Amino acid sequence: MIIEIAWKNVWRNKTRSLVVITAMAIGVFAGVFTMAAINSSVVQRIDSAVNEELSHIQVNNKDFRSSSDIQNIISDPSSVFSVCEKTSGVVATTGRIIVRGIASTSAKSTGVEINGIDVEKEKKIFKLSDKLIQGTGSYFGSDTKFNTVFIGEKLAKELNIIRYILTPEAISKIEAEGVPSAVITNLEPLSGQRFISDKKFSKAFENLLTKADRQKYSMIIKEAAWSYRPGSKIILSFLDIDSNQTGAAFRVCGIFRTNNDMFEGMSVFVPVNELRTLTGMGENRFHRIIAKIEDNDLTDKITSEIRTALPGLEVLSWKEIQPDLAMMADMMQQIYAIFMVIILAALAFGIVNTMLMAVLERTRELGMLAAIGMNRKKIFSMIMFESIFLSIVGGIAGMAVAEAVIAVTAKNGINLMKYSEGMEAFGYSAHLYPTIEPQFFITTTILIVITGIISSIYPARKALKLNPVEAIRTE
Amino acid sequence: MKDFQLAWRNLWRNKRRTLITAASVFFAVFFALVMRSFQLGAYDRLFKNVIESYTGYLQFQNRDYLDDPVLDNSFEVDKNFFDLAAGDPNVKSVVPRLESFALCAAGSKTQGVIVMGIDPPGEDEVSGIKQRLVRYRLTPKAINGLKNEPIPDRTKRLMDVFKNESYASEGRLMLDLGISEEDSSAILPIIRQHASFTNGYLTSGDKTYVVIGNGLSVYLKAGVGDTIVLMGQGYHGTTAADKYIVSGIVKLPAPDIDNIIVYMPIDAARELYAAPGMATSAVIRLKNNSDEAILQTAERLNKIVPEPMAIKTWQEMNALLVNQMDADNKSGMIMIGILYLVIAFGVFGTILMMMAERRREFGMLVSVGMQKWKLAKIVSLEMLFIGFLGVCAGIIASLPVVFYGNFHPLRFTGEMARMYEDYGFEPVMPTMLPDTFYLWQSVVVFIILSVAIVFSIRKILKINVITALRA
Repeated sequence: MIIEIAWKNVWRNKTRSLVVITAMAIGVFAGVFTMAAINSSVVQRIDSAVNEELSHIQVNNKDFRSSSDIQNIISDPSSVFSVCEKTSGVVATTGRIIVRGIASTSAKSTGVEINGIDVEKEKKIFKLSDKLIQGTGSYFGSDTKFNTVFIGEKLAKELNIIRYILTPEAISKIEAEGVPSAVITNLEPLSGQRFISDKKFSKAFENLLTKADRQKYSMIIKEAAWSYRPGSKIILSFLDIDSNQTGAAFRVCGIFRTNNDMFEGMSVFVPVNELRTLTGMGENRFHRIIAKIEDNDLTDKITSEIRTALPGLEVLSWKEIQPDLAMMADMMQQIYAIFMVIILAALAFGIVNTMLMAVLERTRELGMLAAIGMNRKKIFSMIMFESIFLSIVGGIAGMAVAEAVIAVTAKNGINLMKYSEGMEAFGYSAHLYPTIEPQFFITTTILIVITGIISSIYPARKALKLNPVEAIRTE
Repeated sequence: MKDFQLAWRNLWRNKRRTLITAASVFFAVFFALVMRSFQLGAYDRLFKNVIESYTGYLQFQNRDYLDDPVLDNSFEVDKNFFDLAAGDPNVKSVVPRLESFALCAAGSKTQGVIVMGIDPPGEDEVSGIKQRLVRYRLTPKAINGLKNEPIPDRTKRLMDVFKNESYASEGRLMLDLGISEEDSSAILPIIRQHASFTNGYLTSGDKTYVVIGNGLSVYLKAGVGDTIVLMGQGYHGTTAADKYIVSGIVKLPAPDIDNIIVYMPIDAARELYAAPGMATSAVIRLKNNSDEAILQTAERLNKIVPEPMAIKTWQEMNALLVNQMDADNKSGMIMIGILYLVIAFGVFGTILMMMAERRREFGMLVSVGMQKWKLAKIVSLEMLFIGFLGVCAGIIASLPVVFYGNFHPLRFTGEMARMYEDYGFEPVMPTMLPDTFYLWQSVVVFIILSVAIVFSIRKILKINVITALRA
């Protein structure tokens, strides 16, 4: 009954209520959507950490992580495999040989981590094969007698095996992307020239284009001029099992692109058998055994199960390998709550104002209700429900719009290209696909109701303080 | 003047409404200022840390070195020119460096490293490297010794977790071992007794000693007194190889540098790389490092700098960091934008209500001969007063927080602090003292108000006296 009256009261002054409801809707929408965008960068980072870089659980020799010495192998890998495979929730396992070494071409050299992998098994755990850049070859697909290596784009750039050439095809590709022909004419002097690095290429067209054009189109131009000659070779050198310097030429079978520059620049992958032959490590010798599990939420539980079963080894979950990432994930809820509370507190002022106006305007009516015997509790709750309705209607509208906008933007993503360099250095993608967990909506709803209640207290107290006799007489 | 008086009195006719509207403006201004102040303060500190501990605000470099940092892109140190540059009114000193790559071997271990030839006393002034020399190390022996001492069990347990860890500061040691400020005076002397680590720095002109990063020392298993061998490519393709003795170990906050750094006196590096008299960069230390002063100094030096050298500013040298901060800055601005959007609606709603409520009053005034534009003027003044009140209150309330935060920065503890340090940042969050960002908040509020004013002026000019009187 009271609730019904309160609901009807809200719509007595439509304009006034709608202003508050709109404010609420916009505030909630903006809050939820911003959080979805921020949340997505964390979710995407975790997703790539788990699916491309670390997987869920890693088992190492106790000393391997601190010294990564080739001698620090897992002494009994078959028992590790059997423990992992027997643990419920584990869906796939694989072993890796990992050596530190130097990758070089005639132009440059840089330190890398060489991962000897079981190509078929890795496909079930990592999605790295999907990250192959089109036209650079395949994920260990070609059948050659050479040693093969799968490397990241960042490393390829560092070693100068990616060049930039403005070929006629590249120019037509730029045209197809919708770059104005005036810009393309300006680029004319560069056509056919070869640039060995990103920076040299940027410098070359720096003076040919205006600053605005550069900002807008430089990514498109670079992407189009990006050129790689399949089958380039790099030299990998490292120490073998007896600490002798060794190495070999490897043919690049494919180049992958992720959002993590550090990973792209550091990790190279070669089939495990090739690395076994070169290092002199025997069959069934591994430095690291990796397990993928079914449900990421069970990571902690399964990790501790495996850890108790393998006392002599170091068993780590991705959360322990990258504690900052785990903390970010855990902190998202709190950051969100703080942010939402600030927005809602600002909105509360609007609600208080509106409700106060509503109470003062109805002095006479409230006095009448009190005079004919409506008790104080009922008056109080009526005002409170009006206030809650204002906030909840606006809040639900805001959440609905936010959900719709999230669904739309999640399809194509929001591209913050300008910041990709800075964000990818930390491993975060600059192409956001907003996403939010259902529990964010529950938190929001609770916060909205609390806002409604808190902002009704002052107006409701005002209503209770009215003296019925005087109130009836006011005009 | 009469108009002002009238507007002022009108405000206090309905005190509550005035105060609530002003309060919502106050709230937005206060939060925006405090949030912004923390954000800007954090950037400021971050840049200062990186700049003052590594790149410096300005450097002399070969003009191609930034794009292609190889030894061949170095320059010859011209003593006369350096003296000339040091004579600039804003330059304290010019400290040269010679930086290149090498393979570093000790025992059976090899690692690719950065060799940094430095001017030992000058470099210490630039980056405070002496402060970073390892002072404590929790060796198994030290831990065993400490286990028999009267220290809390929690600390003993944590010692096992941080076994073999090295510390250059007592702050981090206390953080890792869970020692509180109060207990420190009792526990630290005991730890000093067992886990102290002796270290030596470099001396100019000496060619036998080097200082290496802690991460590198752990990997190579090379401690103080051990010999390391460096091998690499020297200037113009010569072979560079020599052996050195480790005199000290530094713990740098950034692990990616800590794992691969070897410091030696610049003359030793010149000899190793067969690059006599050369340098790859020279840090220019400034007396006044405000943006303005840096710009002016760079301009002055640019006029006298000879080929092939060029002046590089900290923005150019830290382009990646500038980009990261820019992205973070934009996200902060979006949050404040949302806050103001919400407040704008609140203010607008209140004004809408006020107009509706006072329709009759306005109708009456117009009917007894008040000119509409005069009425509009008074109403506009009322709104400006409200805005002014809110902004002033917001600014005044923010000042204590901002000033306190600047002198007593928020200090992170626990996991958060460790995360910051792992990224090479200091785990503090100071505020930024009032600056132009204060002005901007006021501008935004007055933009919101002017929209509301335009709206209400239109309403007033459109008043139909007859219907308004009947309202």
